[in-house]
Amino acid sequence: MVATVVRLKLTLLRHSLRRDPWRLVVLLLGTLWALGTAPSLLAGAWWLAGPGTAGRPEILVVVGSLLVLGWVVIPVLVFGTDDSLDPVRFATFAVPVRVLVPALGVASAISVPAVFAAAVCALSVVAWAGSSPTVTFVAALGAPVSWVTCLLSARVATLAATRVIGTRTGRRLAAAAVVVVLAAVGLLVGVIGSLGMSAALEGVPALSRVLGWSPLALSWAAPGAAAAGDLSGALGRLLLALVWVCALVVAWGHLLRGVLTRPVVRAGPPRRRDDLVLDRAPRDVSRVAAAAVAARARRYWAADGRYLSALAAGLLLPALISGLVAIVERDAVIVLGPLLGATLGWGRHNDTAFDGSALWMHATSGMRGADDRRGRARGTLAWAVPVVVVGSVAGSAVAGRWDLLPASLGAGLGLLTVGLGVSAVASVLLAYPAPRAGASPFAAETGGIGASMAAQLVSSVATTVLALPLLIGLALAWWWEPTVGWVTLVLGVVGGGALLRSAITLGGRALDSRWAPLLVRVG
Amino acid sequence: MRGLRKAFGSTVAVDGLDLDIPAGSMFGLVGPNGAGKTTTLSMVTGLLVPDAGTVRVHGVDLWAQPDRAKRLIGVLPDGLRTFDRLTGAELISYAGLLRGMDPGVVRERRDDLLAALDLATARGVLVADYSAGMTKKVALACALVHAPRLLVLDEPFEAVDPVSAGAIRMILVRFVAAGGTVVLSSHVMALVERMCDRVAVIAGGRVLAVGTLDDVRAGQDLETRFLGLLGGRGPEQELSWLRPSSA
Repeated sequence: MVATVVRLKLTLLRHSLRRDPWRLVVLLLGTLWALGTAPSLLAGAWWLAGPGTAGRPEILVVVGSLLVLGWVVIPVLVFGTDDSLDPVRFATFAVPVRVLVPALGVASAISVPAVFAAAVCALSVVAWAGSSPTVTFVAALGAPVSWVTCLLSARVATLAATRVIGTRTGRRLAAAAVVVVLAAVGLLVGVIGSLGMSAALEGVPALSRVLGWSPLALSWAAPGAAAAGDLSGALGRLLLALVWVCALVVAWGHLLRGVLTRPVVRAGPPRRRDDLVLDRAPRDVSRVAAAAVAARARRYWAADGRYLSALAAGLLLPALISGLVAIVERDAVIVLGPLLGATLGWGRHNDTAFDGSALWMHATSGMRGADDRRGRARGTLAWAVPVVVVGSVAGSAVAGRWDLLPASLGAGLGLLTVGLGVSAVASVLLAYPAPRAGASPFAAETGGIGASMAAQLVSSVATTVLALPLLIGLALAWWWEPTVGWVTLVLGVVGGGALLRSAITLGGRALDSRWAPLLVRVG
Repeated sequence: MRGLRKAFGSTVAVDGLDLDIPAGSMFGLVGPNGAGKTTTLSMVTGLLVPDAGTVRVHGVDLWAQPDRAKRLIGVLPDGLRTFDRLTGAELISYAGLLRGMDPGVVRERRDDLLAALDLATARGVLVADYSAGMTKKVALACALVHAPRLLVLDEPFEAVDPVSAGAIRMILVRFVAAGGTVVLSSHVMALVERMCDRVAVIAGGRVLAVGTLDDVRAGQDLETRFLGLLGGRGPEQELSWLRPSSA
């Protein structure tokens, strides 16, 4: 079974490479990048191995924790990175879970990131190479355990997230979790900010002591314990790490069994008495089409797993990034609003493809392309504007820099409207296949890597270039004269709005002549 | 339709197809799997750009004046998704509003259609939770809501139960009696024979026979004639191993 699944994975890879030559480019670039980092990683390990290096165990524990965290977070938050085999496809083949777990496990190890992680784990042995043979031996035992922990954590995390987003209670839980994480990040920034950077660094040993006993880095902490002469502690950690691996296997098996035998069903068909599309339709007949599209978009933001995960990522990533930069420089937290505007606006650059083949309804209706574009933009603006405003206000409050609020607001709202404007054109001209409604929002779509790379690159560059005056305005207000922020505010709201309006006309005209080819591309 | 042609790579799906569909007729398009029925209907409704050829609907060139032509057509495609996170009622309203209809008119017609297609009890349920037949029915309602002059229906009776099929048939017959035109494709010969007054048999992207039902049948029943036209035989390769086994 293991051989069959591995062969399946390799066959799928070969076919996708043949169908989409760009995928080969991505694969090669990824491999090159991984190879390119190898010398510096090796040098880092060598430096750690050197006799005079202080804090070797602590650094390794933090590195290990970050590695595992990356494997958990990246496939869930960054779309299209999960290229593992979808277990649902095996549902009809009556393969027992205990056969499927090792097969899918081995298959998931065939990827560039997995090989890269293997290299990093192996380097931990190099870092301990200069120590006593016992310590090196413990490190050699720990490395494969660390690697397997990474792979398994990623599988359990994506599968659990897919399951959670598929159910309504799960979605509420996920929303609650997002709020908790946001609050935690805010708290962390506050604490570190009040302590100052150097004091925070002094906390690293204590942090690594805690992490060293957490499942994230048990196997990374074991050699350190052995080096300190605590052999029983080292063996205990290794044993616990193995127990944790077993727990992950059991959890994964349990989740797989759930996927195979109990496909996600929405608990009891929900009923709505109101017709949310019709009840809010405007009287003016020339505006009903755009209003209907906007109403539909609002429904999808609340009910479709793909939009919800886009929403979660669009809120979490800016929060995490501004939290991280705020650790270094407290004032930098004012970028929260602008970052939110940028991710939420630019994030819609493939909006049309999310409709999939359902776009036929728009295509056959004879509606004006501009109405389609306008409706989509409004569906996002309706909630994104308040979010950006709250983000800007919160950022200014945490930084204690109310004088920067106009600049932050202007850049945030400007980036939102500019991003949506670029999206209005890009999602017609540069559409690439998106996951279908009801499919795992984390899965990589086959056959579209080249197109998706090109679209993401072009739309992000276009957004940056068009928003350059706003970014400059923000920078000037921040480092030179806060009153420049008022200019940024006016520019962001008025200029961004004007840009969005003309982008809607432009994208609409492009759409009018491209309905049928676009439908074929995204269907 | 004149000289319609569409190729996917090296596979020619529709190969120089000419077809005249008189206004006010109930026109059946029959053919084996892969004959090019769906491809043809997609090009007639503006869902697929033909490689060559023209489509005229009541004198309007579909690919030259798409917005005028599309107003005349109601479409039920096969194998395409719908916006299934809307409820049945919302989906019908959505179809009407996209076409720029007055909200008051949409409300009236939505309720009529839900009642006529026996969907009234499921009006508040998400289309994602509908059965295949119910999805087909609500999509048909979306095709009808703007009262088109031409209805293009791809496999309208697939997965629909006999009671609903009867209701749909009545709706279509009345629509034709009132001067509307229906083009539908189907695998089910008996159904086409019972409903349609004109038939075209297509295979390999070409028209094998076209005309009134009696012309095409030529004294036989449609199914026999159909198999005769295709030179069809039963499957030659017998699956001798296909019997319930203990394995």
